Amino acid sequence: MSVKRVVIDPVSRIEGHLRLEIKVDESSGKVEDALSSGTAWRGIELIVQGRDPRDAWAFVQRICGVCTTVHALASLRAVEDALGIEIPKNANYIRNIMAATQNAQDHLIHFYHLHALDWVSPLEALKADPASTVELQNAVLEKYRLPLSGPVGLAFDAYPKEFPKATTLYFKTVQQKVGQIVASGQLGIFASHWWDHQDYKLLAPEVHLMAIAHYLNLLDRQRELVGAHVIFGGKNPHPHYIVGGMPCSISFSDMNASVNSERLAVVDASISLGINLINYFYLPDLLAIGDIYVKKGYTDGGGLAKERVLGYGDFPDEPYNGIANGDFHKKLLLRSNGVVENFGQGLASAVFYNLEGRDYADPAILAEGVEHSWYSYPQGKSNFHPWDGITEAQYTGPKEGNKDSWIYLDEAGKYSWLKTPKWRGKSAEVGPLARYIIIYTKVKKGIIEPTWAEKMVVDQVESVSRVLSLPPENWLLSTVGRSVVRGLEAQLHAYINKYYFAKLVKNIRSGDTAVASTEKWEPSSWPKEAQGVGLHEAPRGALGHWVVIKNAKIANYQAIVPTTWNACPRDSQAGYGAYEASMIDTKVKVADQPLEILKAIHAFDPCVACATHLYDAAGNEVGMVDTDPYAIVKGGGR
Amino acid sequence: MSDGQLKAYYVYSPWLRIFHWLMVMSIVVLFFTGLYIGNPFFIGSQGLEPTYAFSERLSMETVRFIHFAAAFILVCAFVLRVYGFVVNKGDRLLPRFWTKQHWAWTMDIMLHYMLLRASHKPYLRNPLARMSYLGVYFLIGIEAITGFTMYVMVDPKSIWGQSFSLVNSLLINEYYVHLIHHYVAWLIIIFAVVHIYMAVRADFMEREGEISSMFSGVKFLAHQPVDLGEIATEEDSLVRYWDNIARDSRPHSG
Amino acid sequence: MQTNNSLWELFQKRGLSRRSFLKTCAMITGLLGLSPLKCTEVVAAAEEKNLPVVIWLHGHECTGCDESFLRSQTPLASDVILNMISVEYDDCLSAAAGEPFEQHFKEIIEKYAGQYILAVEGGVPLAENGIYCMVGGRPFVTVLKEAAAGAAAIVEYGSCSAWGGIQSAKPNPTNTVAVSQIVGGTTIVKVPGCPPIPEVMTAVIMHFALFGQLPPLDTSGRPKQFYGNRIHDTCYRRPFFDSGMFAERFDDAGAKAGWCLYKVGCRGPATYNSCGNMRWWNGLSYPIQSGHGCIGCSNNGFWDNDQFYERLPNIPISATIANADTIGAVATGVAVAGVVAHGALSVVEKYKRQRQSKPEEERRP
Ligand code: SF4
Repeated sequence: MSVKRVVIDPVSRIEGHLRLEIKVDESSGKVEDALSSGTAWRGIELIVQGRDPRDAWAFVQRICGVCTTVHALASLRAVEDALGIEIPKNANYIRNIMAATQNAQDHLIHFYHLHALDWVSPLEALKADPASTVELQNAVLEKYRLPLSGPVGLAFDAYPKEFPKATTLYFKTVQQKVGQIVASGQLGIFASHWWDHQDYKLLAPEVHLMAIAHYLNLLDRQRELVGAHVIFGGKNPHPHYIVGGMPCSISFSDMNASVNSERLAVVDASISLGINLINYFYLPDLLAIGDIYVKKGYTDGGGLAKERVLGYGDFPDEPYNGIANGDFHKKLLLRSNGVVENFGQGLASAVFYNLEGRDYADPAILAEGVEHSWYSYPQGKSNFHPWDGITEAQYTGPKEGNKDSWIYLDEAGKYSWLKTPKWRGKSAEVGPLARYIIIYTKVKKGIIEPTWAEKMVVDQVESVSRVLSLPPENWLLSTVGRSVVRGLEAQLHAYINKYYFAKLVKNIRSGDTAVASTEKWEPSSWPKEAQGVGLHEAPRGALGHWVVIKNAKIANYQAIVPTTWNACPRDSQAGYGAYEASMIDTKVKVADQPLEILKAIHAFDPCVACATHLYDAAGNEVGMVDTDPYAIVKGGGR
Repeated sequence: MSDGQLKAYYVYSPWLRIFHWLMVMSIVVLFFTGLYIGNPFFIGSQGLEPTYAFSERLSMETVRFIHFAAAFILVCAFVLRVYGFVVNKGDRLLPRFWTKQHWAWTMDIMLHYMLLRASHKPYLRNPLARMSYLGVYFLIGIEAITGFTMYVMVDPKSIWGQSFSLVNSLLINEYYVHLIHHYVAWLIIIFAVVHIYMAVRADFMEREGEISSMFSGVKFLAHQPVDLGEIATEEDSLVRYWDNIARDSRPHSG
Repeated sequence: MQTNNSLWELFQKRGLSRRSFLKTCAMITGLLGLSPLKCTEVVAAAEEKNLPVVIWLHGHECTGCDESFLRSQTPLASDVILNMISVEYDDCLSAAAGEPFEQHFKEIIEKYAGQYILAVEGGVPLAENGIYCMVGGRPFVTVLKEAAAGAAAIVEYGSCSAWGGIQSAKPNPTNTVAVSQIVGGTTIVKVPGCPPIPEVMTAVIMHFALFGQLPPLDTSGRPKQFYGNRIHDTCYRRPFFDSGMFAERFDDAGAKAGWCLYKVGCRGPATYNSCGNMRWWNGLSYPIQSGHGCIGCSNNGFWDNDQFYERLPNIPISATIANADTIGAVATGVAVAGVVAHGALSVVEKYKRQRQSKPEEERRP
């Protein structure tokens, strides 16, 4: 029985530079071992040190351009937590709208443009009959629409502005275009893929044609979903913010204001379009494909989610006066903060641990290891304790090949620029699936009285369970489950968007137009030393930024980002990271064409630039290695 | 000629003198308008209705216009400087770096200014001063180049825009052009402070008519200046003319 | 730059008949599993001229430029990707991954040597032989050089690619440089911005599609059409600047009225980009319109022109914070104090000398 080692590098259709290596037993298709390696490091935390904390958001925002606002938001929250700034109501609603917009748009573009080609093939689409595709489209809309919704305070949308086009001519035209591309021999972005993989035969050609048509349709419409970013932040990617609120002043009596009634109309239209695209395209397509896969028994890839998932919670319903002091977590709309273990064994045996306030400053709760990362630890200790935070780069190169020409990485040694984040010494999965498991568990076990959004989460999970006729733990914990939940979350966030838009309008109507609190704008009003934590549930999972400010400058900055949690290398104490666990939990039919692996990893929506920007590779002692920012102050500046 | 009697020497041409005072005025205007442009402010309180700096007549636009006008005057004034240089020997103040003498004199004057040497050789224009003038022209040159870079880039396609855009790439980006313009302005002001002091001091300590020379063009020296050959000649008729007047009007010099 | 041959042209070149061409098309139709009815379309496609080939590489970047590119409205992203160019290699959009993808890369740079356009997003880390950015097990810089060797033109998308970008800000831990600092010998178009405006990114391709050549460039290599003017000279808040009407701080009356953001740090006066005239989302907004000053994101080295909310950056002098004006004023003060002291000493000296009536040339002890 030969075990074959297969490398996927670069992994395309992701953000950043990721390398996967798997060992597959060719006869059984079992993945014996898998490793995930972040292969680039940029050092942005080093770059922000010594700069003005009010500028930090702009620097760290550039950690990632796909999840383009998330690091800015986490950074602002961290700086505001440190300086004790409470932002005005409007700013809070606007930031929530921007975050929900980001999630909804990012999930949608991920599904169609980064993930879909793992499921559907343009070549298969050529075999479809356009007339039957029309029938299929209609059937899909009938069967797989998820008619759930949040509180829609203001509904000006007279009818869905974008609707799947179920006409024969439409599908014929799309098919013709795809045919032309194929015939020209210039496949462009479709070139050289494993299109002959047997999994592409799982779906009927008509499903392929429908999905490819939507791929193109939504490639051109996704841009309109980020209207809120362009209005409130001036651009996208990388919209602008300010510490203390938002820069976009609201006025109805000036002719040149950033936000007025017309500008709000743009935001509203964009939010409504998001709801439509998700309800009529994204979710039906996703559920149709998911249903077929689940019915054919594809429920592998669950991995770490079965054991442990983690979240921080998000969407402060009203302004809060601090995160580390616990106020943030009291005001949340989506309380996905906490850890759920053993969900894989069913809801009954799942265990919930809370994560709140000072927990984020406790190095015993959140820590990072370097066992398999390209860093060494003094005194030869294998365990990394953040209180002794020293990072020394130790780039060891690969197992086979040269330092600058790899063949195979060394799974027994060091093989990634990512560290291994740990919760109480254990690794955990983060992301939409994690958030859904946590909220579902909390609500079902009666730990929390659900808000409307949390109730919608539970309703969504149960509706899908009915469609798939499986209990949640049987479909959620899989590659398909991960992708489906991302779609559900897109729907949830589209309505959260609406909800906060209505709240914003209501608050403005009450006479409050403030968007920024500037009493603590001047550094002279700041304490000499301060530290803060900023939390955000980014599209890819729980995101935390930690900042230490001394003499009006950033003394220390650190972020633990979702993809680090998920894509991290293994650890003898914490176990495998989520990517590796999921790959090991996936069956590969053709070792040379590990399409299933690509699918499993894409289901996490990797964002590797986020994950690998963290460390000082120059081998110098840098304060930022501490997971716990307070450590520097408390530990007396090592 | 070291009889201790004050003798008048005609040094500066009218061209140089006009230039000097034009330069003084334009630098003062440039500096203060520049400060305003860098950090504009309101007189009075800011209301919802349009308000203008100082008053309706002194808006940012006007202040900028004055700044630009003064800049043009300053740059054009150099024509006078050059003309004076051509027609009058006294205007040729370029330090003669290549001569030993220049450095010896520099040392002499430096020791004097450091209060280590009670007096210095008689100069029409001491070499340290001559070097500092060259220095300030250099600074003005930087201001002119950076200033015009910012000024002409409003029309990047013009011949000016095309040539000055190189300055932007050379200095990495235009933000650095702003910064350099700002810093050098302060250097010029620091020069002015020292320069005025030196003139006043020379007047007080040596009574050589330092300040009045910038109006009349004539300096008074008790001893024959060592740089006479370089800057002016004794045969100059005006020198003799002023010589007489000086003798009459300065009783203590006798 | 020559355009690639169509299948029909190849047949003509080889002296093959129209008949055999049509036969081949029919065969292709069959191979693709298309119905015979589709044959005419295949013929049409094979007669068409090929699209210019584009290879899109990613170095040290955040993929924001890709995202921006996809947000283009005119031309729409799908029109660009499917009808104007053929993006044969792009690790953000391409379906393929891993080995076959790398194989395809090799084939493309051979097959279209000297003809393809190389688009690069991201800076090039050079420290320690480039191991801070590995692609397919090789340093990015190696891949870049390989691809650049046969490129007809190189487009540097984004400030990272054009200038080095955020990772090259002080202290530049990975020693990242711009693409043009590594490769040369061919036309390089800089399209800076963090990210550039979507329609500016696609317009470079649109220009090529319309006129068959690269757009005219300025002295820094940027398309003149989009980077000619300063934002300040095209800003809709400029009249307020000229009138001296400024927002003094965020969300004050001036900010609400949409006055000039100069005093809260706007970098518009030193930034070359189309944000003022073209704006984002085809005229919808740009940072200044949304109330935030420009941060100068299309400028070389703008990251080190911080703090973004000050007109002049602060210079750290031993724990105090001062800007150019403070330093200038202090230095002038010191100069004044210096000359006053010097003057006083000179006067004292003079009187001392006069009282003692010492010979003038005598040196002080
Ligand atoms: S907002 Fe900025 S770019 Fe616009 S006029 Fe004012 S300083 Fe110039």
